[in-house]
Amino acid sequence: MSVQTTTAMTHPLVRYALVLALLAALAYSLYMPHMTPAGYASYMMTILLQVSVTAILAVGVTFVLLTGGVDLSLGSLVALAGVVAAIFARAGQPLGVSIAMGVLAGLACGLVNGAVVVFARVAPFIATLGMMTAARGLALLLSGGKPVPDLGESFKAIAGQRAAGVPVPVLIVAAVAGLAWLFLRHSRPGRYVYAVGGNEEAARACGLNVSLVKVFVYAVSGALAGLAGVINASRLTTGQPNTGEGFELAAIAAAVIGGTSLSGGVGTIGGALLGALLMGMISSALDMRDVSAYYQQIITGGIIVAAVWLERKGRRE
Amino acid sequence: MKRKIHLATAVVALAGLMAGAGGCGGDGKAKDDRPVIGVSLLNLSNEFIVMLKKAMEDKAAELNVRLIVTDAQRSAGRQIEQVERFIAQGVSAIIVNPCEVEASSPAVAKALAAGVPVVNVNSETRAAPTAFVGSRDEESARLAMEYIAQRLGGKGNVLMMQGFLGQAAQLKRDAGAREVLKNTPGLALLAEQSAKWDRGEALSLMENWIQSHGDKVQAVFCQNDEMAMGAVIALEQARRKDKVIVAGVDAIADALQAVRDGRLDATVFQDARGQGGGAVEAAVKLIRKQPCDKETFIPFQLVTKENVDKFLKR
Repeated sequence: MSVQTTTAMTHPLVRYALVLALLAALAYSLYMPHMTPAGYASYMMTILLQVSVTAILAVGVTFVLLTGGVDLSLGSLVALAGVVAAIFARAGQPLGVSIAMGVLAGLACGLVNGAVVVFARVAPFIATLGMMTAARGLALLLSGGKPVPDLGESFKAIAGQRAAGVPVPVLIVAAVAGLAWLFLRHSRPGRYVYAVGGNEEAARACGLNVSLVKVFVYAVSGALAGLAGVINASRLTTGQPNTGEGFELAAIAAAVIGGTSLSGGVGTIGGALLGALLMGMISSALDMRDVSAYYQQIITGGIIVAAVWLERKGRRE
Repeated sequence: MKRKIHLATAVVALAGLMAGAGGCGGDGKAKDDRPVIGVSLLNLSNEFIVMLKKAMEDKAAELNVRLIVTDAQRSAGRQIEQVERFIAQGVSAIIVNPCEVEASSPAVAKALAAGVPVVNVNSETRAAPTAFVGSRDEESARLAMEYIAQRLGGKGNVLMMQGFLGQAAQLKRDAGAREVLKNTPGLALLAEQSAKWDRGEALSLMENWIQSHGDKVQAVFCQNDEMAMGAVIALEQARRKDKVIVAGVDAIADALQAVRDGRLDATVFQDARGQGGGAVEAAVKLIRKQPCDKETFIPFQLVTKENVDKFLKR
């Protein structure tokens, strides 16, 4: 039942449009006449580092989008998880504990999202909008409205360190995306996720536990937002209660640019990563060329719509 | 099923209403005849505004008045609603910490039309309030940019990170910084860009600037400390901080610590205690019909490693 839906992205025209858009962005981003080859390499690493938070969120939200849901709480969860992890890090807890508490904070909120959607039957838009507001409030409450500083060297090193020249967050993205891809494409429960989004009634009729699948996807989205929040806090070297505003929209846009359908059943992890990368590259290139912030917003908006239009057009044909 | 849901909605709504009403009733019942001042703050997730609130509360306790503090969460629309509610509640005075110059103006105008004195604190609205307590934002940027000019000996390449474009603080800090740039022909503005007051945005922007302008950068002026901290982190990670001077504005706790540790070169202290306390004092004067200055300007102070200890203690 899911075989057809998962292959939508492999349609040649779809790939063509996306690849063309990516190439255009690549050309624009990489044509930096004053840069040395070493400069290029470090520039690309910088872009990968900058998109890592959005990329993790985009992977998580792809799970939710595949079931036809949406998760608007991601940005607030990034702030909440960052604050929670920072509080533990500042208290001198071991690195593993701080990270785990941040991820758990995200997971807990994700479970609440799932429960509200499934058991209280509140529309995902509203349920996660409620969580967006509540989690932001909780982040502000826990931090007293102020950034939580003094996180210690090991915590700052999560995002500050490089392994073999690659920033650690980039490796984390690779690991997370790899696992998510394996799960969605090569495991039975992964196919259930597509099935629920493809046709919920049919999935139910086939004996699938639709409720469980739905709670699961919000939990994944929440936990990954928690992980992204930890990385974000490490990058900023503080737990910022006001960070993350609009991250959910960037993540959803990345997933949709990458071919994920907002009505469920269609989408891939690779697409989400490409979408995040495309947006990050454009934003970096615009910064580096000193394009005014007004134009940047207009261009970014235009690109989101154009990329999705091209991709949808490709799919219809 | 449907009816059940309607019933549940009604119960929830009713509970909410009662909680709200209960709150108000409780406040009134305590035979509290202190004058009440309604406060509408820009955004309580901003550290400076949190300090402003604390200063107001301390001054209110000292002067024996009661504050009702609300958070407009950066929305001028919400700010207007809050002020309307204050008017309906019959407060004695209103303190507005405006979200926007134009869009928050109706809040001030409505209060004045209802005969309630209004004190604007920290930033301005187009509609003139009864009294204004704040600082000249241009001065803060001027102090920071002059510091950069002096450190560079009047000659060098500077980057500028702007706040949210179009906000009063951004416009004024921009004007102040440009004034120094104009008067110091040796300073060249390499690039300017908005990082929306945000540390994360600033971190990414600085990383991109390091890529595009590299060795040419000698100083970065950030229109607030959050962005300055982002710039510092990016420069440290690129191992360039020792070659680039970074200055911010606001003297938030984090930035002061960074100045003391030698990571951030300078910030500008905006006196939250002076502004918050001054606003409550002005409001109380107006309630008591005592003479009150139309405008009170609290001076800024440049903070560097030499004098940072004085500010850390506050």
